[in-house]
Amino acid sequence: MAARRKSDEEMTVNMTPMIDVVFQLIIFFVTTVDMENKALDTKIRLAMSPHGPAVEKKDPRTIMVDVDHKGRISIARVGMSADVLRQVLRKAVADYGPTIPLVIRGDGKTPHEDIKSVMDAAAAAGLWKVKFVAVKEKA
Amino acid sequence: MARQRRKAEAPAADLPMTPMIDVVFQLLIYFLVTIQPRDVLAHLDVFRPSPDQRQQEQQEKPKMIRILVFPDGFTINERPVDAAELDRLLTRLASIDRNQTILITCTAASPHEKLVRVLDLCAKNKLVNLSVVSTY
Repeated sequence: MAARRKSDEEMTVNMTPMIDVVFQLIIFFVTTVDMENKALDTKIRLAMSPHGPAVEKKDPRTIMVDVDHKGRISIARVGMSADVLRQVLRKAVADYGPTIPLVIRGDGKTPHEDIKSVMDAAAAAGLWKVKFVAVKEKA
Repeated sequence: MARQRRKAEAPAADLPMTPMIDVVFQLLIYFLVTIQPRDVLAHLDVFRPSPDQRQQEQQEKPKMIRILVFPDGFTINERPVDAAELDRLLTRLASIDRNQTILITCTAASPHEKLVRVLDLCAKNKLVNLSVVSTY
């Protein structure tokens, strides 16, 4: 009888505050989860690389440089010339050291010379960790 | 008797759940419909020869594998190949030595996807010492 009464009491837990909190959490995660994607240029058609190593843990200091099919360079949708990119990378190296990974999102149709100008800017700034992004699996 | 007492103690128990479940299902359906699955991305690591000329000379070992990337094809050690042939050669190479340095030279006019293709084949065969150089 005593056990029965205990379970009855547990049944009366007030659900409302818990549901409120859960909804708040859901809204928080829904609004924050895709922030990073908004900074990427969606017009870039990445080349396919079905065997490439998947992106594992990402360094938060990573610099993503977008190069579209006409060779226009941009970081977080802000277009810039190769000279400006060099200055930006120099500044980044001065602030965080030369171990920052540079990730190049190049369109598959971009001529290599435009990719090269980004890599040269990286070399001039002293960055040596260069990666190319490719699509491993189309969603 | 006991039942009546419980009712009196617990006003929260008769919280109407139905509208809330309706709303949650609506949200669920909305997110399922609007979600855009993301492509799985790969990061292809490469080495760039340092601007230091001395090191560049040191890299020019005769046993190094040289792959040239042209807009319309590849050559490996001066021999023109297509992608399938390149894959076969790289597989054979990887069975001998995975740490073999591979110097990938890309011509300025070739599209980026060609370079990515070569890097992908190297990644497939687990070759790790990839150096990318550009020609003018």
